Amino acid sequence: MTRKLLVSICSLMVVLSMASATYSAERVEVVFWHFWGGRDRPIVERIVRGFNRSQKKYHVRAIAMPGSNLDLKFFLSVAGGDPPDLLNHDDPVVGDWAYRRVLTPLAELATPDEILQLNEWLFPAARELGTAEGQLYALCNGLDIRALYCNRTLLSAYKLELPRTLDDLDTIAETISPTADKAGRNQIGYLPDPRRLWAWGVVFGGEFIGPQGSLTADDPKIVAALTWMAGYARRYGPSEVAAFRSGEQALTGSAFPLLANRRYAVVMDGQWRVRDVAEANNAAAKVGEIADEIAVVTLPPPPGGVHDAGWVNGNFFVVPRGAQQKRGAWEFMKYWTGFNGNQAAAAEACAAGGWIPPSQVIVDQTAYQKALAEQPLLREFVTLAASPNQRPVPTLPVSSYYYQEVIRAAQQVMYRGADPREELRAATERVRHRLREVRDE
Amino acid sequence: MNGSTSKRETYAGFLMVSPWFMGFAVLTVYPFLASLYWSFCRYDLLSSPKWVGFANYRRLGSELLAGETLALAIGNTAYFALLSVSFSVIMGVLLAVMLSVEVRGRAVFRTLCYLPSVVPIVAAAVLWIALLDPQQGLVNGLLVKLGLPAQGWFHSTSSALWPPSWPEDHAGRILGSKDGLVLMGVWSVGNLLVIYLAAIVDIPPQLYEAAELDGANRLRQFWHVTLPMLSPVVFFNVVIGLIHSVQAFTQIYLVSDGQGDPAGATLTLSLYLFLTAFKELDMGYASALAWLLFLVVLLITIWLFRISQRWVHHQGAA
Repeated sequence: MTRKLLVSICSLMVVLSMASATYSAERVEVVFWHFWGGRDRPIVERIVRGFNRSQKKYHVRAIAMPGSNLDLKFFLSVAGGDPPDLLNHDDPVVGDWAYRRVLTPLAELATPDEILQLNEWLFPAARELGTAEGQLYALCNGLDIRALYCNRTLLSAYKLELPRTLDDLDTIAETISPTADKAGRNQIGYLPDPRRLWAWGVVFGGEFIGPQGSLTADDPKIVAALTWMAGYARRYGPSEVAAFRSGEQALTGSAFPLLANRRYAVVMDGQWRVRDVAEANNAAAKVGEIADEIAVVTLPPPPGGVHDAGWVNGNFFVVPRGAQQKRGAWEFMKYWTGFNGNQAAAAEACAAGGWIPPSQVIVDQTAYQKALAEQPLLREFVTLAASPNQRPVPTLPVSSYYYQEVIRAAQQVMYRGADPREELRAATERVRHRLREVRDE
Repeated sequence: MNGSTSKRETYAGFLMVSPWFMGFAVLTVYPFLASLYWSFCRYDLLSSPKWVGFANYRRLGSELLAGETLALAIGNTAYFALLSVSFSVIMGVLLAVMLSVEVRGRAVFRTLCYLPSVVPIVAAAVLWIALLDPQQGLVNGLLVKLGLPAQGWFHSTSSALWPPSWPEDHAGRILGSKDGLVLMGVWSVGNLLVIYLAAIVDIPPQLYEAAELDGANRLRQFWHVTLPMLSPVVFFNVVIGLIHSVQAFTQIYLVSDGQGDPAGATLTLSLYLFLTAFKELDMGYASALAWLLFLVVLLITIWLFRISQRWVHHQGAA
């Protein structure tokens, strides 16, 4: 009996190893690093399976990695000479990496016709996210747009309307502001996040980069935006603000700070929260309750500000220079995004994940239109995706540093009471200096 | 033993230590010297290092003089190192004295005090992030129940020695992120405790008998016998503790979201070095920072050795 079992196991192993050898002889493996987890992981796995089924030449092996320090792991793999064939990422690093010759320009993977088409096909923000030094280095597969989620039920209770102007937003914050108890506050109408100076700066009419490529984070309009944000920190006290925000960024589902105990009346967040709102609605319906009504509005500008404006980032594919299977990587990128075919499946994946497609072509697909009809909140984000006033972090050889320095300046102002003009001037000067150093290398 | 046997034994000895020696040469000496060279270069890990002379050190100086990020990092490092070492020594000595007393269940108390030091640092950091959460944390819950104001902990730029200057801030919210880190450090004082306990057991009982005959009470015995006899161990722990605190990274990285948040309140030298090297890809400046860190630790250690002659009591010394 034991002998029979052993023989069976050995035979199975031989068959499996032969099958594996046959498969590797026929299909070329494309190693793909990504950071998708949680609710998105199954969708990504479905896309990979779909691609592998559709292929006779390539086989994508997806490796999910923790998002934290993914850029560092990728960079070290490049420096060590063993990079993946394809990476999906979402930090503003395209400029840094392109300048350091880490990335393969898409023009080396695609035909000239494809590049022309691609430039037309992508939303302006998606194109800008992937462009460095005048050419495409990254292919955006989904945009992240921010807008204001408003608890309409709570606003109505205070006889307030949705914020259409900055004054409206200030009124909401001032009206819905119960006093703090010993444990601190439990509710604040609205509270700006220092990281979102990148959005409010643009809404106030500021530009983070000048027409000649000069760095302009100290633009008076960006200073005005930060001064306005600092007003909130002064009103409540910086420690109070920091404590109130503690740990809320990662909360999902019904714990989403907007929904949890009506913690806020208005919150700036991305399109992925539409799923949280839907989940909260379903959870309330299950217990026979009516969930608070949530609305989405664009960031309200001050007088002279910019409408439909904000900060955009997104997910993108890059192919490192040292990749072994660049062609396979390019085929997979096209398959995922729906560029030059596979539009319907790409739209289905975007609809399932609540992602914003990088192109109007995918938005117009039946599957995505159906999702928009079912989730009207998502429509506001998709409309914003096409706006030229949605600005990403400029792609520079020091994009990542620039991004962090602006946030650091905003934190110094909001949490330490520093002067907005002086902090932004000093931050801009540091980045300019670093940019000169990098360009001199 | 003849000459050839002795030679063979010498060769065998070298052969035996060669794995360690190779490891030491490749993993310690080479990085040490390479970082010295890189500190004079512009280097981004991908292209070859380019010699820039003292540019990185000039940048060190200008950042320090202008009170920019480096000055902030040095200030934070000094705050964390001084407070965590001081409290660890005080808590360690006091706990060791208490745990050296013959009482029922002494072994249990000793185990309980030692236990935190065997918790992996990442697990400990995650635990403390939850405990010190300003809104849902157990510690703030306890403070509020005791009628004390809730603290900002890892979400606050404030600190016990420099409370917030803004009058608008919530009254009494004084303790901030650095204080949270100090608390974490003191919690895992178990390693030091073992050393203090061993040293206390080593103190000759006749010293206490003599003190008792001279009429010294418990407090005076502690002050005039225990503390002087423990001073070499305290000195050892101060030196090692300072080196460890200046080099502390993991727990700081975890509680500060990897960025020294909030607003640079937990940006220490080691974290600044990491961010410079691997986020800004400026390995040259990061190497200069590493050498600054090395020199700071070296100078502090030399200074501690110098002043130790005044307060460290060596048994048998004249």
